Amino acid sequence: MAERGVNRRTFLRALSAIPVLGALAAFAAPLLRYLKPNLDPGLGLPEGRLRSLAEMDLPQGEQLALGRVEELAEPWSSRIFVYTQRYAQYTPEQARVATIPGVAIRLPWKVSFPGFKQGEEPTDIVIFSRICPHLGCIFNYVPNWREVTAGYGGYVPPEERRHGLMACPCHLSIYDPADRDRPGRVLSGPAPRPPYYFTYEIRDGVIVITSAEPGGIA
Amino acid sequence: MLDRVREWLRERKEKLDLFDETNVDRLDNPLYALGHIVYFSWIVVFVTGVLLMIWYEPTTHGAYNSILRIQHEVPLGWLIRGAHKYAADMLILAIMLRIYRMYFLGEYKRPNELTWMILFASLVLAMISGITGYLLIWNQRAFWAAKTVLSVAVYLDQIPIIGASKFGSAIAFIFLGGPAVGQGALTRFYAIHFGISALLLIAVELYFIFTRRKRFGLSPTAIVVLLLMIVATSYIFPAEMGRRADPNRTPLPILSDWYFLALYQYVKYTPPLWAGLGPGFLITYGMLVPFLDRSKGRRPSERPFFTVVGVMALTYFVVFTTLIMFNIAVIDRDPHIVLVMTSVVLVIGLLLELRYRRRRRAAEAAAPKPPPRVVGARPAPTAG
Repeated sequence: MAERGVNRRTFLRALSAIPVLGALAAFAAPLLRYLKPNLDPGLGLPEGRLRSLAEMDLPQGEQLALGRVEELAEPWSSRIFVYTQRYAQYTPEQARVATIPGVAIRLPWKVSFPGFKQGEEPTDIVIFSRICPHLGCIFNYVPNWREVTAGYGGYVPPEERRHGLMACPCHLSIYDPADRDRPGRVLSGPAPRPPYYFTYEIRDGVIVITSAEPGGIA
Repeated sequence: MLDRVREWLRERKEKLDLFDETNVDRLDNPLYALGHIVYFSWIVVFVTGVLLMIWYEPTTHGAYNSILRIQHEVPLGWLIRGAHKYAADMLILAIMLRIYRMYFLGEYKRPNELTWMILFASLVLAMISGITGYLLIWNQRAFWAAKTVLSVAVYLDQIPIIGASKFGSAIAFIFLGGPAVGQGALTRFYAIHFGISALLLIAVELYFIFTRRKRFGLSPTAIVVLLLMIVATSYIFPAEMGRRADPNRTPLPILSDWYFLALYQYVKYTPPLWAGLGPGFLITYGMLVPFLDRSKGRRPSERPFFTVVGVMALTYFVVFTTLIMFNIAVIDRDPHIVLVMTSVVLVIGLLLELRYRRRRRAAEAAAPKPPPRVVGARPAPTAG
């Protein structure tokens, strides 16, 4: 009949609760694992070559020949394309292929773009993923900046940025593809960073997209 | 301590009033029929939902076509689908109105704290049910809503310390059944959409059986009027189809269902982490209001601060909804205005609260002291 402190019965009850809770947790853990989607260990691999699971989480990109450099000769001309990436994932349809829409833009001046030779050599062609780094919508390349002001949240660019811009219809982020310090700089809106870029090479006058900046898929 | 929690729960469970089922004598006032309307529209949604399952095909290839078929080929399909949609809208509208009624009339105070918390959670669940429901159509709006909503969750990983566990990505991964909006997401959304309603309905039926409460205070006339409203709306404004989902093209402007519009406008104004945290704080505030508001009175004028917060929430809901419908957002300017307005209104609310308390203290001090209480004595007549 202890008025204060813990009496023996309560103490023993608390002590016996520990193994019971442990058993419940042991049951609950696989149930939670049940919610996580499975990875198919053999997806898209040649027979007899199995990579580690960590490696398979990385998406596998394909090389894409975008077109000849002359096709993008005019300043502010652009070309949209769809880049294919392959994920290791188990679905009822077995394979999962994700596509990333992108846009290549010819600039009237040269910038240091990380997608071209790691940004060491200036280039006037920039290639961005059109997946908005804010919440994953597909944004548009808008050659006429007045359209950005009219339909994308009233942003009026300063004099030196009155040229082709990139704008997202979902939450009105606006990017400048031709920023001299950081191509794709966020001018307005909630986006936390510039859009993801594609790396590319020019082989015999053909623009070949080799891969996407990692992390750029939503 | 544990005994006190148990006692608290016991009292609130006894006084639970989920659908206004104890307010049967006030049914002349539509404001007090809201709980019954919630229950009624829920049943309509459930029954029409089960009927829709007969024709619906939950695959990314077939979903849109199967709904086209329901809308245009299946006999009375337009009515079943319209009733499902509009009864769901009625459900959410009735829950919202009831939340505002309980808030402004102080009905969440003792002993109704638990009722309020369950009701508030049911609004959140109804909205989740709504957003998982409209992915099933597999149209543009559905696709982009699912995509943006679950990208918001990913940004929760940026919270210091707890974010390192990647729980935000885990939430998105679990809802989507994979890294992108695809067949896995459609299957899971279908399961969640039906599962929430079915499980909760069973729980509510058990509650009615065990407490022997009356389910329904609506008169036959009221039921017929509500049903006619649903049928007429589905006939005059057939439920929309929108365009088929296209993962490579974002529509401009992008709009969601009416109850998410204000949130969409808010997402435009804030950095992505806050887009996730803001609604989280709002839900936390809603759930904890009965414990934050310690005032004695129930009338709005007797707790000025909480009334001001409620009016502000209602105003923002209406204003943000209007702004997004007309696609008005000047992102460089508006967030500052909203922030300044919010701070000014909150300060005004605080000042009103202080003034009200000072006046009440003054009135108490001015009132004649009651005579010392004697057990068994009759209360003294008060002056004035």
